[in-house]
Amino acid sequence: MSALEVKGLVVNRAGVPVVRGVDLVALPGEISVLLGSNGAGKTTLLEGISGVIPTAGGSVTLDGANVTKANAGFKARAGLAHVEQGRAVFTEMTTEENLQVALHPEARLEEAYALFPELLQRRTIKSGMLSGGEQQMLVIARALVGRPKVVMIDEMSAGLAPVVVSRLMGAVRKLADTGAAVVLVEQFAALALAIGNRAYVLRRGQMVHEGGCSELAKDPARLHHLYLGDAGDAAA
Amino acid sequence: MKHASLRAALNTALSVAVIGVLVYALLPNYWVFLITAVFIVGIALQSLGLVAGRTGMISLCQMSFAGVGAWVTGYLNVSGFPGGLPVWIVIGGLAAVPVGIAIGLPALRLRGINLAIVTLGFAAAFDTVLATITFPGQTTFTQVPRPMFFESDRGFFIFVVLVYGVIAVGLEFLNRSRLGASWLAVRHSERAAANAISVPRAKLSAFAISAFIAGISGGLLAGYLGTLVSENFNMMQSLSLFAVATMVGAHFTLGAILGGVLITLFPELLRRLNLPQDVGAVFFALGAVQALSTGETISETWARLGRKLMPKRKSGAARVAGPLPPPAQHAGGTALEVKGLSVRYGNVVALKNTSLVVPARTVVGLIGPNGAGKSTMVDAIAGFLPRYEGSVLLDGQAVDALSATRRAQIGIRRTWQTTRIAPELRVGEYVRLAAGNISDEELNAVLQWLDCPTPEALIATVDAGTRRLLDVAGVVAARPPVILLDEPAAGQSYAEALKLGERIAEIPQKFGSAVLLIEHDMDLVRRACSSITVLDFGQVIATGDPQTVLALPVVQKAYMGIEVEEAAA
Amino acid sequence: MNSFFTPAVAGLSAGGAYAILGVCAIFTYRLVAVVNFTGAAIGATGTFVMVALYEHGAPVLPGAIAGILAGALTALIIGLVMTTWFAGANASTKAAVTAALLVGIVAVGLRLTGGQHPHAFPDLVPGSAFRLAGVEVTNAAVLTVVLAVVFTVLAELFLARTRTGLQLRALSERPMAAELIGIRVRLLALGVWAVMGAVTSFALMIIAPLRSPDFMSLSLLVVPALAAALIGAFRSFRAALLGGLMIGIVEGLVSGLDAFSQYRSTVPFLVILAVLLWSQRGARWDEAR
Repeated sequence: MSALEVKGLVVNRAGVPVVRGVDLVALPGEISVLLGSNGAGKTTLLEGISGVIPTAGGSVTLDGANVTKANAGFKARAGLAHVEQGRAVFTEMTTEENLQVALHPEARLEEAYALFPELLQRRTIKSGMLSGGEQQMLVIARALVGRPKVVMIDEMSAGLAPVVVSRLMGAVRKLADTGAAVVLVEQFAALALAIGNRAYVLRRGQMVHEGGCSELAKDPARLHHLYLGDAGDAAA
Repeated sequence: MKHASLRAALNTALSVAVIGVLVYALLPNYWVFLITAVFIVGIALQSLGLVAGRTGMISLCQMSFAGVGAWVTGYLNVSGFPGGLPVWIVIGGLAAVPVGIAIGLPALRLRGINLAIVTLGFAAAFDTVLATITFPGQTTFTQVPRPMFFESDRGFFIFVVLVYGVIAVGLEFLNRSRLGASWLAVRHSERAAANAISVPRAKLSAFAISAFIAGISGGLLAGYLGTLVSENFNMMQSLSLFAVATMVGAHFTLGAILGGVLITLFPELLRRLNLPQDVGAVFFALGAVQALSTGETISETWARLGRKLMPKRKSGAARVAGPLPPPAQHAGGTALEVKGLSVRYGNVVALKNTSLVVPARTVVGLIGPNGAGKSTMVDAIAGFLPRYEGSVLLDGQAVDALSATRRAQIGIRRTWQTTRIAPELRVGEYVRLAAGNISDEELNAVLQWLDCPTPEALIATVDAGTRRLLDVAGVVAARPPVILLDEPAAGQSYAEALKLGERIAEIPQKFGSAVLLIEHDMDLVRRACSSITVLDFGQVIATGDPQTVLALPVVQKAYMGIEVEEAAA
Repeated sequence: MNSFFTPAVAGLSAGGAYAILGVCAIFTYRLVAVVNFTGAAIGATGTFVMVALYEHGAPVLPGAIAGILAGALTALIIGLVMTTWFAGANASTKAAVTAALLVGIVAVGLRLTGGQHPHAFPDLVPGSAFRLAGVEVTNAAVLTVVLAVVFTVLAELFLARTRTGLQLRALSERPMAAELIGIRVRLLALGVWAVMGAVTSFALMIIAPLRSPDFMSLSLLVVPALAAALIGAFRSFRAALLGGLMIGIVEGLVSGLDAFSQYRSTVPFLVILAVLLWSQRGARWDEAR
């Protein structure tokens, strides 16, 4: 059974339709990669699913339960973790405090430190002082210790060096191996496709492709077309 | 726009006159006397409507300004100053202005909350001062005389209605002027407004004028009651006035009258129903909270319902569109140059040694993945970053020392990603705010060229995607040397975005401006730009014509993380 | 010198109350992002509930407890209004709401307490504590100052050391991110309101006998409270504590000077003006922000 199921979701931003009827499924233990160029609506889609912005149509089902109308806090406590883009750490709190505030009663801080030893070294430092990569590790670790059923991660590789991104991708794979369903939103297709199971491509608010990650990784011309358009591509 | 101003002013004058005549002719003396108070309070409400409803500032001491006006009027009376009440109330109003400026000045450059706190503090202090020094003539029971020919209750009613009408008409003209539109702009988006006007100046003018009007209402009150006590102007009165203004929408002329009716006649109604009169205050409080939660005042609700009932006007039937404004003759060569621009936010390097060139009368695209630094670069060029390394040059001259407002004045104009335009404005007023001095025909032409609604349409009826186009229209009509367009096609359908791209390509030739276009829709970029620069990780990775650049492996890798040939191998 | 000392010390108990109110204002602003104009009015509600019970023969202690609970309840209701309909509103709108609510609360409060009708205010802590250089320092004065200090310290400790305090800090910095990790933001916000209501009521109960106020004049103590909060720049509890005490002392001094004694209520306003001017020293008029 799917951990997360989205059907026909419509999300508006300031009255403008940005997500125009999108379907998406995330299965436990699997990584669903959501690709698309900026402006396609990927962030808006995640925000509509988690409840940051209200939806204007469609449904969101979490572990079989319809949570479309529930508020963001309820969904979070029900197991839906949303790691927003922009590395939203609580800057005035230390690294360890950032983890403690999100800690599930059955989880332990050691799990986070095992995944990211750097955080253990920097645990008493205010999170605002961490580097970009460390902050990204922190927000993923923060989601991890909440024992989520579904984790949606928005563009974690933005602004980070490839070496750091590889580390993060490895951590995301481990996250999926613990049984969580992962939705990974990325602009940079290569690394994501390498660790993902399903691939979705969003363009102008609509899903234009759905399939396996390995197939898409082997067909970069198709990916180029989906992202960057084509000189002869006059019709939509 | 002049026609619209005149028409609105006549409308207002007529409505006020009609109400005045009806009351005068049909109602007995008791009611005429009572309704005089409606108009006096209405003037005070208009002052609050200006500062709060229109400019979005919270002022909790309007009745204290009225108290200043009343006190000065009383003083002029006791000291035998010539001219009578009409002269005294104007002087009283003028006396309130420096008081307003003294209080407002420290707070106006800070967040709005500070003004609320300082005005409340002033109201408390003024209460104390007034209670101590008392009104001139209070102890000798010297009455403030009404003006000649207007001495009777009915006569004074006419006088008050005249003053109300003059102020209402004056405000109509003011509201439709550039100053008035700037007030609305400040209310809805200070940051965007800073691009076109000086925000502190706009706020201060609104506050000072509102103090003047409030002072006049105090002077009128002195004439109305003859003698005054400090309770007329105490802090709770100011707070109640604020609540009522919020509830009715006192920046609409009829809203102010409605508010006056509520404040004056509601207690009368309660008295007749044998209910305690201060229930009214609770009603106002709840009404204000309700209006704040829905974002719609009573006046706006009526206007919205009224629009639904009225038959739809034929739009665009006979739209006189003349030629577009002539292209500006700007210097040739390089319009905009960025040299070695570097920006850091703490530890994070947003831009590193970036350079680009926008030749005069061309369209250059700035593209790159999310987080590449495009917005940062635009902010730096337009002057919204306090610190950066490197240099921005307009027509060869460095502008780094200039503020954003100054840069906009000398020719670097921009549009915004999130446009918050006042819904009460009309399309024409808003575009004029950005465009400056152009004729009605030219305005119509620009709007038509970009497929925008007519100038009379209310922004409230225009959807968000089209509002962005209005931003573009305003900036384009101003014909500056350099235009920065920040994702103008967001919210457009595919076909509309392509058409916009074609239009943007025509801007240099039709208007004489150079354009730097930030976009991520590649098809639009191909159509609009003669050259593009690609940013990635805060650095420039490619520059050249769109066809070539978009096929470069390094650009594909930046966007997708893989290169077409590399993966195929 | 004595003639200055006495009124200055007399101003100390008021100063303690201003300090508490100011710290509460900062607490409310930092944690639920609202500049609360009803702060003192909530305290007035609690105070007058106690007074009503006292005048009907109830002993002081249960009356005080009932008053504190009434204050907490009033604050809770206002908190419900703010979190239900204005959770996403901007700061100006929320402030406007509390200003409007103040009008309603004062009207109801004046009506229910009989307006200017004099009341019997029980001395919660009667008697004098000690004499300082020949000037009597009352228990009430000592209590308000001690309460202010204790509350400030407890507030800081609570935020820094407890799990709920941690959640509150997260909430105050990034409300959306806090909600997304499952923090019950609404419940916490309501808790903050209730605590503010209780503390404010207690503080005002202590100083009420000194002023024999009516509902309105007690509610208007929000002005010196906000002045104290401004001194703390709506951020520092300690600065607000000292600021509130200072405002009280200066007010006391002014009331000791015959020529100006009637103008003592202008002191908070002048303080506000001074703080705002000071915070902008050196800034250019037209500087782009």
